[in-house]
Amino acid sequence: MDVSHGMPHGFVMESPKGRGGNEGLLLSVVVDDDESVRESLPDLLREFGFAAQAFSSAEEFLSSGCLDETSCLILDIAMPGMSGPELQQELKRRGREIPIIFITGRTDDTVRARVLKQGAAGFLLKPFSDSNLLAAIKVALHRT
Amino acid sequence: MNFVNVGLIGVIPPPRPDMNAPVEDPAQEVKRLQRCISDLVSLLALPAVWSGNELSQIVQILLDALLRMLNLDFICARLKNPVDAGLLEILRVSDSCKLRIPPQDISRVLNGWFGVDGEKSLPAIRHRFGDEDISIFPVPLGVHGESGMIVVGSDRLDFPGLTDSLLLSVAANQASIGLQEARLLAEQKRITHELDRRVAERTAELAAANDELRKEIVERKLAEERLRHEELELKRSESHKAAIVDSSVDCIVAIDHEGRITEFNPAAEHTFGHRRSDVLGRPLADVIIPPSLREKHRTGFARYLATGDSRVLGRRVEMNALCSDGREIPVELTITRIPQDGLPAFTGHLRDITERKRSEDALRLAHAQVLRSEERWRSVFENSAVGVALTDLDGRFIATNLVYQKMLGYTEDELQQLTFLDITHEENVEENRTLIGELLDEKRQQVQIEKQYRRKDGQPVWVRNNVSVVPGTERVPRFLMAISEDVTHRKLSEEALARARSELAKVARITSLGVLTASIAHEINQPLSGIITNASTCLRMLSADPPNVDGAQETVRRTIRDGNRVSDVITRLRTLYSRKEPSLESMDLNEATREVTAVSLSELQRSGVMLRYELAHDLPPVVADRVQLQQVILNLLRNAADAMGTTDDRPRELLIRTERDEENHVRLSVKDSGVGFAPQTAEKIFEPFYTTKTDGMGIGLSISRSIVEAHQGRLWATPNDGPGATFSFAIPCTLEGLSDAETRVDRSEPATDAA
Repeated sequence: MDVSHGMPHGFVMESPKGRGGNEGLLLSVVVDDDESVRESLPDLLREFGFAAQAFSSAEEFLSSGCLDETSCLILDIAMPGMSGPELQQELKRRGREIPIIFITGRTDDTVRARVLKQGAAGFLLKPFSDSNLLAAIKVALHRT
Repeated sequence: MNFVNVGLIGVIPPPRPDMNAPVEDPAQEVKRLQRCISDLVSLLALPAVWSGNELSQIVQILLDALLRMLNLDFICARLKNPVDAGLLEILRVSDSCKLRIPPQDISRVLNGWFGVDGEKSLPAIRHRFGDEDISIFPVPLGVHGESGMIVVGSDRLDFPGLTDSLLLSVAANQASIGLQEARLLAEQKRITHELDRRVAERTAELAAANDELRKEIVERKLAEERLRHEELELKRSESHKAAIVDSSVDCIVAIDHEGRITEFNPAAEHTFGHRRSDVLGRPLADVIIPPSLREKHRTGFARYLATGDSRVLGRRVEMNALCSDGREIPVELTITRIPQDGLPAFTGHLRDITERKRSEDALRLAHAQVLRSEERWRSVFENSAVGVALTDLDGRFIATNLVYQKMLGYTEDELQQLTFLDITHEENVEENRTLIGELLDEKRQQVQIEKQYRRKDGQPVWVRNNVSVVPGTERVPRFLMAISEDVTHRKLSEEALARARSELAKVARITSLGVLTASIAHEINQPLSGIITNASTCLRMLSADPPNVDGAQETVRRTIRDGNRVSDVITRLRTLYSRKEPSLESMDLNEATREVTAVSLSELQRSGVMLRYELAHDLPPVVADRVQLQQVILNLLRNAADAMGTTDDRPRELLIRTERDEENHVRLSVKDSGVGFAPQTAEKIFEPFYTTKTDGMGIGLSISRSIVEAHQGRLWATPNDGPGATFSFAIPCTLEGLSDAETRVDRSEPATDAA
C-alpha cells in the first residue's frame, strides 16, 4: 500500500470513528475491473489525502479484510462476476454502511435510479473530473 | 304355113319392086300374090303377139310392113287400145314421100278421116298435096270400124288395086282380129287379174279375219292371265295386310258400328291379355276401356254416330286402358274410321306407353338435373370471388364473369372485341405470349402468370393468373380458361414491405451502428477516463510542495498508454468503417469475425462472458458485404451476451465457430449458454419487433436475417442440448448471377488482431 506523505492541500481529515492503522488517514477503496482505472484513481485519491487501495473484483474486496477500515468505496457498475449494485446489496446484507460512489462508462437511468435508491452516495459518469470526484467523496463522507 | 318367129324385131319383108309399074305377066302377078300372102301369113302370126307386146310397136311393124308391101306413100293407123281403151295414132311415111310432102300436111288432112268419133269417116278420095295427087283410102278395123281405122295413101292412079284391097282387107281383118283377140286376152287377163285380185283380197280378208281372231284369243288369254294375276296379288296383299296387322307391335283393334270388336291382333292379345276368339263380337267398352271411362266412351261414340262430330277420331290421345288382370296401363291411342260404304267401322291403334312415360319422367328429371347443374356452374362462374375469363385459342374473350369485368373496367361486349394480350401491359406481353404458347403446345398443363393489365381507364392492375386449356367436346372446341386474382393490394403491400424493409435495414444500420457506437464509446471511455484521472493526478503531484516528480512521471506514462489505447480503438474503427458504401468483395470470414470481437471484447468480458474461438483454418474466401456481415456477427454476439446476462448459476460461455459448409458454403455459429428459447419460437424470434429484452427494439435478428438472405444464405437458431442456443448463418462462397467484375478482391488493408 502506497501511503502518500503530507496532508492534502487544504483538506483536513479527521477520522470520526478513530480508525487507526493508516496514521489517521481514511481509506478509500476502488473496485473496478478496468486496469487503467485501478492504476490512476488511487494516486488521485492519495493526492486528495486518502489512503487508497484498489481491487479488481467485488469478491476480491470482500475477501480482503479491509471492510472494516473502508471509509468510502469507489465502485464500478459493470464487472464480471459480482456487479457493483450486487456488492452494494451484499454490503447492506452484511450490515456494512460504507458510503459508495458508483462510477460507470455507460449511461443507464434505470440502474442509476436503482442504486441511488439503495443508498448510493454518488453516481459519476466516466470520464469525470477530479473536482467532481472530490465533491462526491465529500458528500459521501459528510453523510456518515 | 310357115310361121316366122316374129319377136319384137318384127318382120321386115324384103324390099319389093315398084308397084306403080303396070301389071306384068300374070305369072309374075301370081308369084307376087303368093309372096304377099305368105307375108300376110306371117302377118297372121302377128296377132299372136299383139297381146304380148307393146301395141304401138306391133302397129308400127304392121304399118311398116304394109307400107313396103303395097309401096305406099304413107299409112296411118288410129285405134283403140284394147287394153287400156286409150287412143293410138301412128303415121308412117315412106322415105320418098317424105321428100315430097311434109308430114304435117298429111296429118292435117287425115284428121278429116278420123274426126271426133271415128265412125263417121270420109270415103276414099284423091287429094292434092302440093303438086301431086295422092289417093287416100281408109281401111276400117272391125266390122264397123269400131276397132279403129287405117288410112293409106298412094300416088298411084289405080290405087287401090285389087291386090291392094285384098291385102289391106286381110291386114285389116287380121289387125282387127288381132285387136279383138288382144282385147279378149286383155280382158281375160283383166278378169284373171281381177279374179286373182279378188281371190287375193278375199284371202287377205280371211287372213285378216283370222289374225283378228287370233289376236282376240291372245288378248282374252292375256286378260285371263291378268285377272288371275290380280287375284293372286289381291290374295297376297290381303295376307300381307293381315300379316302386318298380325305382326304389328302396336295393338290393332277394329270395331263395328255398334262398338263390337271385329279385329283383335296378336299384339292386342298380348298387351291386354285376352284371346282373340274370346273378345270378338264383345263390346270394346267392356273389354279394354276402364270402368271409369266407359260412360264417356259410350256418349262420345253415340254422339259421333249421330252427328259425325268426334273429339278423338284421327288424333293421338293418351288414356288408361284395362287389362284382363284388372291393371290399368297408360296407352297412346289413335282411332280412325275405316273408309267404306254403308255402316261405319273403326280401327284403333293402341300402344302401351308405360315405358315411354317412365323414360319421359327420367328424362325430365335428368334434364332438370342438368339445368340445375348448369345453373350451379353458371352461378359459380358468375359469383366466383376471383375473375374468370374464357378465351378462344387466339386469346379473344368468349365469356367473362362480373368480377373480371369489374377488375378491368370493361363490359362483356367490349371484352369480346379484345384479346387478353390487348389489355396486358407491354412489359409482360412477350413472356405472356411465350407461356401461352407452351400451354397450347401441351408442354405444360397450366401456367401461372403475374402481370399487369391495363384497365379501360388506363390504370394498371396487378393480377395473378392461372391459365389452363379446357379440352374440347363434340360440340365445343377447346378454349383457354384463366382464373384471375387481383393482387394489386398484395403487390403494393409487397412493394411497401420491401420499402419498409429497406428503411428498416437503414434504421437498423443506424441502430446497430448506434449500438456499435455505444460499444465503441465505451471502449474509448475507459482509457479517456484514465487519461483525465492521471492528468489530474499529475497536476496535483506537481503542485505539491515539493513536487512529486516521480509520481507525476508515472501518471504521464499511464496517460500516454491510455491515449494509445484510444488510438487503437480509432484505428480499428477506421479499418472497420473505411468503406463508404457497402459493396461485395471477396473476404475472409475469420478475419471479419476477429475484427468484430476485437471491438466488443472488453464489453463482453465486462458482461462476464468468456469468449472462445473455433475458426476453421481452411475456410475459403467468401464474396459478401463485409460491413453487413460484421453487423450480423455483432448482433449475434450481443444477443448471446444478453441471453446469458441473467444466468449466474453457470459460466457464461460464448463460442464462435467458423467452418466449411457443404456445397461451397461457409458457416458461422455463435453458441451461448444462456436462457435459450422454446423450440416453437424458433422462427418467431426472427420476426421484426419480437424481443425478450426490456431495452431492445427486437429488429436485430430480422435485419440480420435479411442481410444473410440477401447473400443467398440462411440464418437459423437451434436450442442446444444443454442450456442456451446456437445461432448460425451459412452463405455461399460465390453469389449466383454475379460476374467476376462485380466482385472486388480487396486484400490491401492489414488484418488487425483482436486484443
